[in-house]
Amino acid sequence: MQVKIESLTKKFGNVVGVEDINLDIKDGEFVAFLGPSGCGKTTTLLMLAGIYKPTEGYIRFDDRIVNQVPPRERNIGMVFQSYALYPHMTVFGNISYPLKLKNVPKKEQSERVSRVADVMGIGGLLDRRPGQLSGGQQQRVALGRALVKEPDVLLFDEPLSNLDARLRLTMRGEIKHLQKELGITSIYVTHDQVEAMTMADRIAVMSGGHLQAFDSPEEVYDRPKTLFVAGFVGNPPMNLVTVEVSHSDGKYIAQNSSLKVEVPAERGKQPAAHNGDVTMGIRPEDVSITADGELDGQIFVVEPLGREDLIDVRIGDNSILLLADPEANHKAGENVKVHMDMTQIQFFDPKTEKSLLWT
Amino acid sequence: MTAQNQSTQNLIDISILTTAIKNGLIVVVGMSVIVLVLLGVFKPILASVQVVESVTTSISQFLILIIPFIAYIMSGSSVRSIVKDRPLQAIVVSVITTFILFAVISTGHFILKLGTFAPTSSIQMTFVDEDEGIRVESVEAGGAADEAGVQVGDLIIALRRDPIDRSGLMAQVAQAQVDTPLRLRMMRDDEEIQVTVRTVLADASDVAGLLPSLVVAVAVTLIAIIWPAQITPYVILLTILAPLLLGYIWLVIATFSTRTEGILPLDGQGNIGGFTLENWNFLWGGDIVGLNVSIWQITLNSLVIALSMTVIVLLVSSMAGYALSRMDFRGRKLFLSFTLILHGFPAVTLLIPIFFVIANLGRIPIVGEFIGFNKSVGIALVMVAFELPLGVWLMKGFFDGIPWDIERSAMIDGASRWRVYWEILLPQIRPGLLALGIFAFLGGWNAFLIPKTYSTGAGTVNLPVFLSQLIDETAPVNWNQVAAVGLFQLIPVFVIFIFAQEYLLNIYAGGTKGSS
Repeated sequence: MQVKIESLTKKFGNVVGVEDINLDIKDGEFVAFLGPSGCGKTTTLLMLAGIYKPTEGYIRFDDRIVNQVPPRERNIGMVFQSYALYPHMTVFGNISYPLKLKNVPKKEQSERVSRVADVMGIGGLLDRRPGQLSGGQQQRVALGRALVKEPDVLLFDEPLSNLDARLRLTMRGEIKHLQKELGITSIYVTHDQVEAMTMADRIAVMSGGHLQAFDSPEEVYDRPKTLFVAGFVGNPPMNLVTVEVSHSDGKYIAQNSSLKVEVPAERGKQPAAHNGDVTMGIRPEDVSITADGELDGQIFVVEPLGREDLIDVRIGDNSILLLADPEANHKAGENVKVHMDMTQIQFFDPKTEKSLLWT
Repeated sequence: MTAQNQSTQNLIDISILTTAIKNGLIVVVGMSVIVLVLLGVFKPILASVQVVESVTTSISQFLILIIPFIAYIMSGSSVRSIVKDRPLQAIVVSVITTFILFAVISTGHFILKLGTFAPTSSIQMTFVDEDEGIRVESVEAGGAADEAGVQVGDLIIALRRDPIDRSGLMAQVAQAQVDTPLRLRMMRDDEEIQVTVRTVLADASDVAGLLPSLVVAVAVTLIAIIWPAQITPYVILLTILAPLLLGYIWLVIATFSTRTEGILPLDGQGNIGGFTLENWNFLWGGDIVGLNVSIWQITLNSLVIALSMTVIVLLVSSMAGYALSRMDFRGRKLFLSFTLILHGFPAVTLLIPIFFVIANLGRIPIVGEFIGFNKSVGIALVMVAFELPLGVWLMKGFFDGIPWDIERSAMIDGASRWRVYWEILLPQIRPGLLALGIFAFLGGWNAFLIPKTYSTGAGTVNLPVFLSQLIDETAPVNWNQVAAVGLFQLIPVFVIFIFAQEYLLNIYAGGTKGSS
């Protein structure tokens, strides 16, 4: 089932929930809606579900406009953050409810429910009530209920937020595997960029009701189209420094009061052409402490993360985060030489916050 | 420390003794000061602005009365800390303290003429019981009896028309106010004469009267020592509840007796006993005070009102509550605040306007037969209208407590709005529904004002109205029969309360999530 979202706008009275969203989701694709709280991702999801009616714009399922189609006729399944299980029914009752509403004969109901329950690993819990299940089990029941009617589109509203970190890890992998196997078009709302990066085929990054980017995880990570995307995706977050890029002697130099680096030509042309200051961005994993680094700095603080050390280095009055090998055993106050991998450098227009390198 | 002191030390711990005495004296002195302030400061102030000032007097009289008891309790409480290890010492210390406090208080009473030394009404003569009456033994010179002309040797045979004995006469004197005339009939030298003695307030310096007080004081102290502290709240509760309980006990006893004196049942001759079932005759078709009415018809009317109220209130309230909770429509906020105002509206003011409505409703061709004036369903409709504001408000509160996600999930699963309401939401608020249903049923069962206004004749009266008719329209009122009918009405209420108490408490707790 293809899902097309055209110029979608939702207003609540005078408050704009989302504005002018355009998305083209392919059949069987796993798309993540990523963004901070209040960015409009859940609003968009609920419009896809039919709970909210769009103020402007269209939603198409396979070229059919479904704006006015009620939720029960859209053949969708949805998993909620709070699971939304029916407390007065057993697990079997919960999972079979969609089938019961479709008047599926009892025997077939029973078969389909047990099949789904086995897939979700909850076959032995069918007689329990939701109140007697753990969070992870409830999550699986909710997922089973969404899958049992063999929907065309699967919607997820931050389903893993209420689980503990360990469980989140396992469920992430399971959901991704399940989706690949079943091939159902899935839309997954989350504020956790790790979830989005690991699970999605493409990520739609949203902020303030607008769509910032809609690309594959690699694109979003390596070639962010806006300052917001660059800062939101990736942990630890990208370093952002205000510099001015100038062109002299065939070289491109980015500098501010306390640092100066040479920029490769393919990345330096657009920022140099820009009038005034630009925002330069480099990810911590692309900055390193080496003996022949081009920048001088002093270590402000070292945060050991186990696998690596997160080090805050002060280069003049610029604060740069970088990741270093714990074996090197750096200490605060050390004077070090810092090297930036300029093939990964990003530049943004500080006013429009758009990338100067990618469109 | 000498050996003598040591042995005394073993028996009486001086420090505890002094603490106990000190506590007791603080109580006595402190409360006396309060009384002084009340009488000296507040009373004159209040008396200057009020016509009759009796509050401060009553309070101070009450305080004076209880000062000794509080003091003895204090002395007993002071030793509670050591009563477990050294019981004998505790008792000795507290008794000594009580004696000392008693001496102080009694001296105060003597000086201020309070308590046993307060002047009481008296007729200033002494007398003894004899077979035929009371023989006057001595007459105080210049006293009330002397002035009235009573002589030693007179035989008092009656007070007014009632024969009297010594204790009776003493009781009369004690109860009499000052300067009350007592008409005594006496025999003097085989001649019957009538003498009127007026009571006076005389000093009672009766030191012998102190002995019972002392015994009571020691008893109170000892009780205060051994009193288990945790039963104090229960004792207080029971004391406050006692009148209520006595009332209910009377109700039950009255239904099974022909007459009652206080709460004791009497039979025709005035002896205790007289168990009878004749008050319950109405259950199997007997006459109620001569009226030939069937209690069962009346019960049916009550039931019709109660049941229709329950059904209609539940249906309408739950649907209205759902709409108010989940749907957005113009005037929603206005409607909500209006509902709350309506709930507080006094029904009485609307009685006459509604009469016009209900009378005209009765003129509708077919339906009017059921919902008009003097028809049970019509009355039920009016009652429903008064119950609905609360019902709607409660139901909205319950629905507000159900998360939106459950409804959304059900709608996505394929349920229509109605199925969501019926299959998903209503089961969630089942306890709330039960509570509201019981509330409505009881409101209908006990309904009095509206049925009384809108029904005439035995065809439509319900139980409470019938009860009022028994009281208003019969003379003399057979209270035992009234009690029987009242108890009969009480039975379903009682049963419901026993079995559904926790659901009802749910409602009074504010109408929030009904599930436990």
